[in-house]
Amino acid sequence: MSDSRERLRRICIAGSGQVAVIAALALKRTVPDVDVVVLGLPGDPAAYADRAATALPYSNKLHDRLGLTEQAIIQRAGGSHRLLMRYFGWGAEGQAGAMPYGAQLDAQWRTRFANEWGGGPRNASGKRPAGSLAEVLADAGRFAVPPGDMPTPLDDLDYALRWNMPAYRALMADVAQQLGVTYLAGEIAALEPDGQGGIAAIAVAQQGQIQGKIEAGLFVDCSGPAAHLLSALPGARRIDWSSFLPALRMLHAKPQQGMLALEDRVSLLPEGWLVEFAGADGLQVTLGLAESISEEAALRALGAEPSEMVTLAAGCARDAWAGNVVALGDAAASFEPLGHLNLDLAHRQLGLLLEMLPGRTIEPLERAEFNRRATLMAQQVRDTLATHYSAPRARKVFGEKPLPESLLHVLDQFTRRGRLPFRDEAALLNQEYIALLGALGFPAGVTPQALSQNPREAQAARATFEAQAQAALQFAPPYQQFMAQMMQPQQQPGGGIAGDLQY
Amino acid sequence: MMSGENGKKLRVVVLGGGTAGWMTAAGVARLLPDLATVDLIESQDIGIVGVGEATLPHIRGFVEKLGIDEAAFMKATHATYKLGIDFRDFGRIGESYIHPFGSFGEEVGGIGFHHYWLELQRQGLAAELGEYSLAVAACRANRFTPPAQDSSLASTYGYAYQFDATLFGPFMREFATGIGVTRHEGLVVDVEREPASGDVTALLLKDGRRIEGDLFVDCSGFRSLLLGQTLEEEWEDWTHWLPCDRAAAMPCTHKTSDIRPYTIATAMPAGWRWQIPLQHRMGNGYVFSSAHLDEDAACEALRQAADGDPLADPRILRFRPGRRKNSWSHNVLGVGLASGFLEPLESTSIYLAQMAITYLIELFPQDGVIDPRDRDEFNRLVDMEYDRVRDFLILHYNATTRDDSDFWNHVRTMQVPDTLADKLELWRRAARIEKYSDGLFYDASWIAVYIGQGLLPQAHDSRVSLPDPMRVSGAMDNLRKQIASQVSAMPGHMDYLKSEAARLAEVA
Repeated sequence: MSDSRERLRRICIAGSGQVAVIAALALKRTVPDVDVVVLGLPGDPAAYADRAATALPYSNKLHDRLGLTEQAIIQRAGGSHRLLMRYFGWGAEGQAGAMPYGAQLDAQWRTRFANEWGGGPRNASGKRPAGSLAEVLADAGRFAVPPGDMPTPLDDLDYALRWNMPAYRALMADVAQQLGVTYLAGEIAALEPDGQGGIAAIAVAQQGQIQGKIEAGLFVDCSGPAAHLLSALPGARRIDWSSFLPALRMLHAKPQQGMLALEDRVSLLPEGWLVEFAGADGLQVTLGLAESISEEAALRALGAEPSEMVTLAAGCARDAWAGNVVALGDAAASFEPLGHLNLDLAHRQLGLLLEMLPGRTIEPLERAEFNRRATLMAQQVRDTLATHYSAPRARKVFGEKPLPESLLHVLDQFTRRGRLPFRDEAALLNQEYIALLGALGFPAGVTPQALSQNPREAQAARATFEAQAQAALQFAPPYQQFMAQMMQPQQQPGGGIAGDLQY
Repeated sequence: MMSGENGKKLRVVVLGGGTAGWMTAAGVARLLPDLATVDLIESQDIGIVGVGEATLPHIRGFVEKLGIDEAAFMKATHATYKLGIDFRDFGRIGESYIHPFGSFGEEVGGIGFHHYWLELQRQGLAAELGEYSLAVAACRANRFTPPAQDSSLASTYGYAYQFDATLFGPFMREFATGIGVTRHEGLVVDVEREPASGDVTALLLKDGRRIEGDLFVDCSGFRSLLLGQTLEEEWEDWTHWLPCDRAAAMPCTHKTSDIRPYTIATAMPAGWRWQIPLQHRMGNGYVFSSAHLDEDAACEALRQAADGDPLADPRILRFRPGRRKNSWSHNVLGVGLASGFLEPLESTSIYLAQMAITYLIELFPQDGVIDPRDRDEFNRLVDMEYDRVRDFLILHYNATTRDDSDFWNHVRTMQVPDTLADKLELWRRAARIEKYSDGLFYDASWIAVYIGQGLLPQAHDSRVSLPDPMRVSGAMDNLRKQIASQVSAMPGHMDYLKSEAARLAEVA
């Protein structure tokens, strides 16, 4: 007979950024009777998962699960939509390409059977679609979120949300507080070991004075790159990624005029990469500097008034979960804000923790399974970033860097054979990653089957796509108009079998 | 240097005209017509094993990719639909469960359905796990209809075929020769190799014919004439984990007019017995360990137990579980039994052949040259697939309380591979499944076997005791009702087969 495990009594989350807040909210939602305490440690400017004002499509599902509606994010946190990332100059000067989100799938790949027996969007084949609806819509500045209760020409689209970070954090903090999460600003005075490789309690200080201690069964370290909890445990080790990821200095510009755009841009300049993030309430520009670039040259390349320079040490925890401490966000892996992967990784690792949440006793093998998957997630992010630096022109700007074996294998198979090997816990869907490789200027190898393909099939696929694109353009209003609608109050649907069991 | 360069086609020579051979020939000829010519050598003097009368849902993709009409294919092979396998007496004599092509319930609040089921089961409120699976319920009711292509409850299952393997080979032969595969009837007596590289250059037939090629696919079954005998590629033996090394097969008549949309696997004192319903007959067989039972005794046991009247005497098949350390070596790759064998307990043989063909197509030599990196990739993928299936099969033997024979005492107490030991421990301690996105058999399959064979974990997720048990139980009852109502709207399996046959006749 299987017994329900005894539930955790208290979870302590260390950190004050949005990663800590969403972790607190999610944990409180998943175990309403647990006491969730957030110890609000001072923030770190190099904690890019906490700074991020966006993530990837995965986060939309996480928001749904936490009861954070898209409408609330748009109405109260400056939200907007992004359909794709556009890349300029990575393959060669003047070259451009786009990476739309989502995957175009045949109906049979969308079924629940396909998802549960090894298919679904994550594993959908590397077959290149005839075109990208996302790109057609972004070019035309038209978009709508498919309503979900009836088929529309936009059903294949996936998108990421942007927001105003402080407002988004506040939105979640409000909900967390309503649910009974407690927040205590303070500093760590001392950590009390639990004798099993973890922590029994944190002694908390405010302005140098010890105020008391927080005991908990599980500690979630969201304290940024310093990983104040995890790094204090015996045997903790951080794996250095700097040999693969050469941009260690980020120069940020002061936010500029806000805009509504369905894309963000990443350009490769002689000085490094430049991300232009089209926030509804502020355009944010960040330059990731190549090693040899002087600050003067960087300031010129930024082309806007600078706000700060951040130095970071890219790397990840060897084991994100040690003892009873689970690291999320920069405490688990910290790296440059390129490709909006920082908060996405934090959210996916939080999703993994929610899936594998332990009881009062932690099973070593479940911790090992969490670490196996969390490490794969982090490595896949590292490889996705390293893919950027190995792009033809990036190798000139950033210098020739060694590549992780796993990435060499993927690039070899893609450029010679036009195929992607399986990548467990990959950061991007196969079709997204293939688009990224193209946008970065990697030539795709021709697949044997393509060599034998009837040209009429390609023509037919193209014609089908053109028709879909026309239908999508007719269905989707101009983005401004859609956003104006989104600002109106509206009812959220719910229900289903899962609805019966919501608590 | 091969002759595929300068736009010339690569000469692919397939040795062996069994299921794997004709599937390979058809796959290459259909999917790479501009890159390859295909010759296949088979001999009437050599019988075929005709592996796998039962298949997995993946075969549908293969049939479709080749452009074969499903109904025509089913008619030619006397196929029936298959929704899963009914395992009897594995965990304990008298108990059974169905491993469906589908899942159980759906996760709620991010927590797997089985955790809720375990909690309700603890409280005495759960029905049998299979009642929360549409595929299992359809099996139990002998009903079938194709799944929906959306994300509703009706899309939670898949289907495969149960067909006459001795007809599948000829069907594929007719298809393959129709799209340009050249068939050579003859016995290979010698293999020519290039002295420097060791590559195979030609196969010599008994009558003096010489078939040259650039790439050779060894589908010669267990003899493995090229990969094993000629190239002496090492075989990794798995008999210690999967001791069954013989099968006695005997076709029988149908005993009833109804045909089940599933296969039955019944555990026996020295192995297990299959019942695979085809349109025209019932396939029966006993897979056993020759270390625990001799062949005559196995045949006798099969006669005693078989479903229906025998249409022939039992035929003995001999095999060795394991795989080659390299399935692709030099310019020879193995597909099917020449490359590896896993007993048919989960109907994986045709899947494993199909998998190797798919990777061969993806990694087909470019410009006539075999790149060692592609060969390594092929071997890596094939190994991963075999190893994952192996662990899943071992689970069926190891997760048992049976102590009624030496065979079951051995498999119950043997040391399992480390990869499986960790999976088992994770399940026992926390009711969790290791997650992968590649290979075969995911959470639902592992859960079906674990729970079906009585391997209940010690503890499950702490959160499932949070909601009011009556509400959970009510929601789960609702699911059962929805499943029951959908199943009652499905046609009987036999009726569906007949209506398809009628439709096909009308089209013709």
